[in-house]
Amino acid sequence: MSVTLTIIVGIAMGIVFGFALEKSRVFEPGIIVGQMQLRNFIMLKVFLTAVATGAVVLAVLNGFDYVKLQPKPAAYAADIIGGLLLGAGISLAGACPGTTLAQIGAGYRDALFTLVGGLFGAVAYSYVQPALAETFLGQNGPKLIFSNMLGAPYWAGALVLAAVIVVILVGLEAWSPWRGEMGKDVDGDLPASPPARKASTHPQPAE
Amino acid sequence: MLTRQAWSPYLAGVVIGLLQIPAFLLIETALGASSSYVTMGGMFASWIDPSILKIDYVARHVAATGKNWWQVALVIGIAIGAFVSMKLSGAKRAAISPIWQRALGSTSPAKRYAVAFIGGFVLLLGARIADGCTSGHGLSGMAQLAVGSTVAVAAMFAGGITTAMLLLRRI
Repeated sequence: MSVTLTIIVGIAMGIVFGFALEKSRVFEPGIIVGQMQLRNFIMLKVFLTAVATGAVVLAVLNGFDYVKLQPKPAAYAADIIGGLLLGAGISLAGACPGTTLAQIGAGYRDALFTLVGGLFGAVAYSYVQPALAETFLGQNGPKLIFSNMLGAPYWAGALVLAAVIVVILVGLEAWSPWRGEMGKDVDGDLPASPPARKASTHPQPAE
Repeated sequence: MLTRQAWSPYLAGVVIGLLQIPAFLLIETALGASSSYVTMGGMFASWIDPSILKIDYVARHVAATGKNWWQVALVIGIAIGAFVSMKLSGAKRAAISPIWQRALGSTSPAKRYAVAFIGGFVLLLGARIADGCTSGHGLSGMAQLAVGSTVAVAAMFAGGITTAMLLLRRI
């Protein structure tokens, strides 16, 4: 496929992606920070649903040999240190690299600073990458996938993962329904949880 | 449907997951977002410091290949899609989400912009060290049962929860 055509496909896919991010409200700083403070679970719900859907899709496409899998190598030190920093950035930015763009599209001005900071971060990494590649933060490793380690075909493992996620989501939704996590202005800005009732000497009115 | 302010997270998640079909079939790659920051950042940086293109990592990311520029197009499309969705529903946003006033304990936009810049810097530094972000390691890596990606996602949540609990105030 020509580069021009891949760009057209990319924009079309991005529009669908951005639309779904906006409609799910998962791009909201209130939802993302709320997830990291463990008081809002919309992000986990969207994320796990997308993982399960992707797993089913790839189980079919790979199971019938239409596509090859593209797992990234397991480079544990880089995965852990990079993941910790990335997570810290998610909380401070209230966004991840993809949702930053959704925030810009929806009108959040601070996301422009996240974007510029991100470009600087990517360039800073680029300058140190040749040196880092020689250290324990190099990104080489085996392309391990769980199903291979267990001696099962990928499609079977992927379907099991999807089934497990469905069970988790059913439980999560029963415990904390999504409509209650949106907030009045669908931005995850929820009323503060009621303060723990102080031991009071006054009698409570009967209900 | 298109004019609603919010969809169920399950509907939106299915739509996002289905995007793996065109990604794998047409582009022969998995959904991802953070490499595009190297492509764009490397290109901008090369206007000031052309020697950055001699770094193989940068040269690989700015090369005129379908995968590189597909991902740049994807993230630009995300902004367009979110804009269109917001216009259709009328869910207009303020310049800064009201939660930041509580999270940062300050109404100063300058403080928020500084934290956003630092957050963005750490976000992409981490994503590049880990070789993937919430999309590449999260959505795509976990769907492919990749062991390294699962470790990276666990670290992301650990870093995110620690930072949100210790550095931010309760929203």
